[in-house]
Amino acid sequence: MMQYPQISIPPRSQHLWRYTPWKRIHPTKVEEMPESDPIRFSSGEDSQMDDSEEIARSFIHAISKSCKKIVLKDETLELDLRCSGHICSGELNIESFGNSTLIIRISGDAGWTGLRIIGNVDGTLSMATINDLASDGHLLRCEDWFVGRDSELEFATLSAGGFLNKSDIRVDLTNRGAQLRAGIASNGYSSRHDDHHVEIKHSIGHTESSLVMHATCDDSSHSVGTGLLTICEGADGSDAGQVFRNLLLSEKSRAESIPELEVLADDVKAAHGAASAPIDVNQIHYLASRGLSREEASALIVEGFLMDAFREIKSEEVVTVMRTRLLVHLECLMNG
Amino acid sequence: MLSVDNLHVSVDDTEIIKGLSLRINLGEVHAIMGRNGSGKSTLANVIMGHPAYEITSGVIKFKGTPLEEMEVFERARAGMFLSFQYPSSIPGVQVGTFLRKSVSAVRGEDAPSAREFRKELKAHMEALEMDKSFLSRYVNDGFSGGEKKRLEILQMLLLNPTLALLDETDSGLDIDALRVVAEGINSITPTAGCLLITHYQRLLDHVEPDYVHVMIDGKIVKTGGSGLAAELESKGYDWLEV
Repeated sequence: MMQYPQISIPPRSQHLWRYTPWKRIHPTKVEEMPESDPIRFSSGEDSQMDDSEEIARSFIHAISKSCKKIVLKDETLELDLRCSGHICSGELNIESFGNSTLIIRISGDAGWTGLRIIGNVDGTLSMATINDLASDGHLLRCEDWFVGRDSELEFATLSAGGFLNKSDIRVDLTNRGAQLRAGIASNGYSSRHDDHHVEIKHSIGHTESSLVMHATCDDSSHSVGTGLLTICEGADGSDAGQVFRNLLLSEKSRAESIPELEVLADDVKAAHGAASAPIDVNQIHYLASRGLSREEASALIVEGFLMDAFREIKSEEVVTVMRTRLLVHLECLMNG
Repeated sequence: MLSVDNLHVSVDDTEIIKGLSLRINLGEVHAIMGRNGSGKSTLANVIMGHPAYEITSGVIKFKGTPLEEMEVFERARAGMFLSFQYPSSIPGVQVGTFLRKSVSAVRGEDAPSAREFRKELKAHMEALEMDKSFLSRYVNDGFSGGEKKRLEILQMLLLNPTLALLDETDSGLDIDALRVVAEGINSITPTAGCLLITHYQRLLDHVEPDYVHVMIDGKIVKTGGSGLAAELESKGYDWLEV
C-alpha cells in the first residue's frame, strides 16, 4: 500500500478537491510530515487503525499519535475531543450495537486539527457531531461508515467553528435494509470556509439514504457542499435522495452545491436538488407583523433554516442537542 | 383608532386601491366584502406594511400616528394584528418558540412569565381545540389550511391586539372549525377594533359586524349594517356596479 507522502497530490479536477485543494488544507508544505499533538478524547480505549490509500486519511494516520476505540451497546455517550497545539490529530474507531446515541463535540484552540473516524453500525446509531473549534482553527475531518443489515445510521453535523474546514464523509450501505439519514448544518460567517463532501454508496439493494445539507452564508464566507451518490450495479430497490440548500445573507458570501449521482442499477429511486436564495421577504414580513424587528426576524429564520437540516433525524435527543448548541453558538456570535 | 383617508395604493405601477376612506373605532367590527381582485387583501397588507405595496397618496393613521412613520414590527407592538390569508411557513422554527418570542416582543414589559405564558397558551389552545403537539411542529410547515387559520387565531388571542385585521380567516375552515375560530374573534372584539375580509356570509353568521362595506375596483362603493351581507349573498355584486 502506498503511504503518505508517496501518494500523489490529487488534482483540483477531482470532485473532492475542487474547492479546497490538498495544498490548502495541509497544515504545512505538502511534502512535510509535521509533528502533531494528540487529540484528547474524553473516553475510549487505545487502539490502532489501518492506513489508507486516500491522501487525507493516510496523512492523518501518518502524523497521529493517538487512536481510540469506542464500543457502544444500547447506550448514550458524550465524547469530547479537545484539540490544542499548533497541529493536532487523532483517529477514532467506533463500533455501535443495539440502539445507541453518540454526541461528539470537537473543541479547542488548535491551529490545525486532523480527525479520522471509522465506524461500524449494527443496530441503530444516532449521532451528533458539533464542530466547535476556535474561530481561527483549521479542520480536516475524514470519516468512513459502514452500515450493516437492517441497521440505521442517523448522522447529524453542526459545523459552526473553525476558519477553514474540510470534511470528507463516506457512508457505505453494505447490507439489505441498511439506512442512512444525514443532516448537515453549516453556519458561514466572517471569512469562514466550510467544505463538506459526502459520498453515499448503496452497495446492495433495498437500502435507503437521505442527505440534507443547509448552509447559511454571511459576510464573505464560502460554503461548499458536494455529494456523490452511487447506486451500485444490482442494487435494485435502493431509495436515495439528497438536497443542498444555501441561505445567502450577504452579497460577498459564496455557496457551491454540487450533488452528483452515479446510478448503475435499474429499479431505484434517486433524487437530488440544490437551491440558493436570500431570505424570503414574506418570512421577514410575517415575523415583523408579530413584533420582531428585522434583525430578530432574520436571526430566527437563520436558526430555523439550520435546524431544518435535521428534519429527517428521528432521535429527539440528537435534535435537542443540536438545537441547544446552535442557540449557544448563534448567541455567542451575536454578542461578539 | 384606525383612519384611512383617500388611500391610493399601487403594486408594480398598477393602481389597486383608488381612493378609499375608512374609520374603525375600538369595539367596532367592520366587514369588507367584494369580488376577487377588488383590493380587499391589498388593503389589509398595506395597513400592516407589506413592502410590495406602495402608497401613492392618502394617509393611514393608527391611534393618531401616520403608519408611514412606523416599521412593521412597531405596528405590531402598537397593537395591530393581521391574520394572513396565506401565512408564511418558517421551517425549523417550532411554534412554541415562535409564540414565546412574539408575545415577548409585542407585550414587552407586560409579557407573562414563562409559567403564566404556558397557562395562557394552554387555555387558548383548549378553546381553539388545538392539540399540544402543535407546539413542537414548525411554523405553518406542512399545516393544512384549517391548521394555519387556527394558528393565526391563537396568535391573535395571545397578542391581544387593539386592531385585528382578518384576511379571509374563514377560508379553508370546516363548519366546526369556523365556529371555534369565530368564538376566538368574538372574545377579543369587546376591547378591539376588527376588520374582517371575507367572501361569504357564513363567518358573519357567527361574528356580527357593525358595518359591512362593499369594495369594487379599489373603492368602497356601499356601506351598510349586517343586513347588507345577506343582501349580497342573495343578489351578488352586479347591482352595485356603477
